[in-house]
Amino acid sequence: MSSSTETSRPVGATAQGEGEIACYVYGIVPEDVNISPYAVGVGDPPGQVRLIRHGEIGALVSDVVVDRPLGRAEDLVGHEALLDGAAAEVPVLPLRFGAVLTSPEAVVGELLEPHHDEFAAALKEIEGHVQYVIRATYGERSVLHEILADNAEARRLRDQIRGRPEDATRGERIRIGELITQAIAAKREADTQTVVDCFATCTVAAVIRDATHERDAANVAFMVRSDQKSDFEMVLGELRREWADRIDVRVLGPMAVYDFVASA
Amino acid sequence: MTVTVPSGGGGGLPDRPSGSGLADVIDTILDKGLVIDAFVRVSLVGIEVLTIDARVVVASVDTYLRFAEAVNRLDLEQSKEGLPELIGDVTQGVAHNKSKGVAQGVIEAAGEKLHDYIAGTVEEPEPERRVRRRSGG
Repeated sequence: MSSSTETSRPVGATAQGEGEIACYVYGIVPEDVNISPYAVGVGDPPGQVRLIRHGEIGALVSDVVVDRPLGRAEDLVGHEALLDGAAAEVPVLPLRFGAVLTSPEAVVGELLEPHHDEFAAALKEIEGHVQYVIRATYGERSVLHEILADNAEARRLRDQIRGRPEDATRGERIRIGELITQAIAAKREADTQTVVDCFATCTVAAVIRDATHERDAANVAFMVRSDQKSDFEMVLGELRREWADRIDVRVLGPMAVYDFVASA
Repeated sequence: MTVTVPSGGGGGLPDRPSGSGLADVIDTILDKGLVIDAFVRVSLVGIEVLTIDARVVVASVDTYLRFAEAVNRLDLEQSKEGLPELIGDVTQGVAHNKSKGVAQGVIEAAGEKLHDYIAGTVEEPEPERRVRRRSGG
């Protein structure tokens, strides 16, 4: 066992036996938070989460073994679950997945101390806010019916490929597929704007995310103040009713304000 | 022992984080959030972390052909849309964007797990108050 507490181990130096332990950082919180002993994060088994304090702020960290790659599904989910659980209770500045520093001393000396004032100010700013993501997806049948109804060229191509083998109609198939993709992109732009406008009065800020699925109708992150939640919920209900037959509307959250901290 | 009871009111916004699928998690935590700046990065340990671009290629010939087939089937049968397609997209997009190596193995493993998550065989993490204000007791 090599459990000497050197403060600055050289990068890449390996302890014998088990892999070297480093400090995985999840996010920044105010120093006056309590961490449940059941709070765990990334790793196998999941590392116990603790707080490293400095001044008014602290970093949520857990030990992580360096010689094993990170990024299993459980690691990704563990990272977000810890942060989202925290964000529901306290202000959190979430770090992007995969931030690892060599030691607790490095977390203080290289992360908390140099950025203390800006982190503390940012935490005050986001106090009482959480993030929700509106994820809207076109139903395949309904969106195809819409496009065929609106577009004569699409109907013509549909008639050409109908019931005929793929090999014989490849050109037509690619053309109709491209046309549908373009039509969906146009719809997406309009429907994304609708989402942004609908929620404008009951949210603090919005970030439009890139589409990640071909039938995405809207993918928008909102920063929501606690006193806006009931209005947000009401607008969500209205939107779902309005889009019931066309678009499936999911809401993710409450989560940490991932989409609103990157610019720092 | 603490038992967390899900709040049963309304049925609108969840009070606690709702367990989101792995695809949603990937969208959220891989390219968003604070990044430790370049200066600090120097002292990051050499741990291999996936930095995949999990973006699905939104416009490709495969997509076009799939839409065409969906149109072809439109009046003939109930189209089977849904998650298996999404899984394919995510894992495929990953494989395209990542050269061989540990990271890819990791991603493939994540892809397999994605099936498990969607099939409901892996339990979603139980939301619980694990980090809270000291004064809030």
